[in-house]
Amino acid sequence: MLSCKQVAAVASDYLDNNTPLKWQIRLHLLMCANCRRFVRHLKITRDISAKIVGEDASVNTDVIWKNLQAQLKKEKLPDRE
Amino acid sequence: MIMTSVKLTPLARIELCAPPQPNMSSRMNSTTTKIPPDENELITKLMRGDDQAFRQLIAQHHSLMLSIARAIAGDTFADDVVQEAWVSVYKNIASFERRSSLKTWLLTIVSNQAKARLRKESRQVSLDQLDGEVPGSYLDGAHFKADGHWQQPIPQWNTESPEALLEERQLQCCINRTLNLLPPAQKAAFILRDIEQQSFDDICKILTVSATNVRVLVHRARLTLMQVIDRYQETGSC
Ligand SMILES: [Zn+2]
Repeated sequence: MLSCKQVAAVASDYLDNNTPLKWQIRLHLLMCANCRRFVRHLKITRDISAKIVGEDASVNTDVIWKNLQAQLKKEKLPDRE
Repeated sequence: MIMTSVKLTPLARIELCAPPQPNMSSRMNSTTTKIPPDENELITKLMRGDDQAFRQLIAQHHSLMLSIARAIAGDTFADDVVQEAWVSVYKNIASFERRSSLKTWLLTIVSNQAKARLRKESRQVSLDQLDGEVPGSYLDGAHFKADGHWQQPIPQWNTESPEALLEERQLQCCINRTLNLLPPAQKAAFILRDIEQQSFDDICKILTVSATNVRVLVHRARLTLMQVIDRYQETGSC
C-alpha cells in the first residue's frame, strides 16, 4: 500500500499517465479522501494554468528584428572589402 | 496552514499583470496545436525570404525561446543567446527540411546556442542539479506524519470549477506572476510540457536533463502553482 507521501510525489506522473504505479495509486485514492482532493486540485491546476499563462506580451518584435538586421549587416561587411 | 513557497532568485523578474486579453482562449488554442494548419504556408514564405513572415515568427516564438535560453544559459546570457539563435534561423531557414515542426526546429537551435554559450563561458551546466526540496512545498517532509500520511487535511477550495477559476482575473495575475518567479528550469519545463505539449523525450533533448528530472521539474512547478490557488481560495489574493 502506497503512503500519501508517495502518492503526492508521483501525482503528476499519474495525471500524465506516466507511471507503472497506476493501479496502486488508484487503490490508495479509493480509500484516501485527502489524496483524492490533492490529485483533483493538481489536475485543475495543470489544466487552468496552461490556459492562463499567455505569451509574454512584452516581446518587441521591432527591436529584435532591427538587432537581427544589424547583426547580419555586420557579418556581411568583411566580405565586401 | 500552508505557505506559498515561491523561491525568489535574485534574477527573478516580477512582471506586472497585462491588461485583460479578450481573445485569449482562441489565441491559446492556436498556440497549443502542435503543427498549426497554416505552418506550411508560413514555412514557404520564410524560405522565400519574406521578411514579414520572419517578423511573425519572432512575435510567435521569441518569448518561449527566451525561457529556454534562461533555463539553460541563465539570465545574463539569455537575450544574447536568443539574438544569436535568430541570426542562425535567418541564415538557415532556406535549408529547413520540414523533418520536424518549425517550433521543434527553433527550440533545438536555441537550445544548442545556449549550450554553446555556456561552454564558451566555461560555466557548469547546472540544470541537472535540481534546486532540492523547497521548504513549505507539498513535497516537504514536514507535510507528512512518520507513517507517510498527511499531517493536515488538504485545504478545501471554495470552487473547483475550472471555468469559474478561469474567470478570476486576480487569480490569473497570481499564476502569471508566480510562473515568472519559478526557477528558470522549472518554468521552462512547465511551459514546454503543459503549455506547448511537447513530449518528455523532446523536453529532455531541449533542456538536456534526464526524463526523471524533467518530470520532477514539471511536478514542482505544478505544485507551486497549486499552492497559489490554495492561497487564493483562502485569502482572495496571491
Ligand atoms: Zn493518501
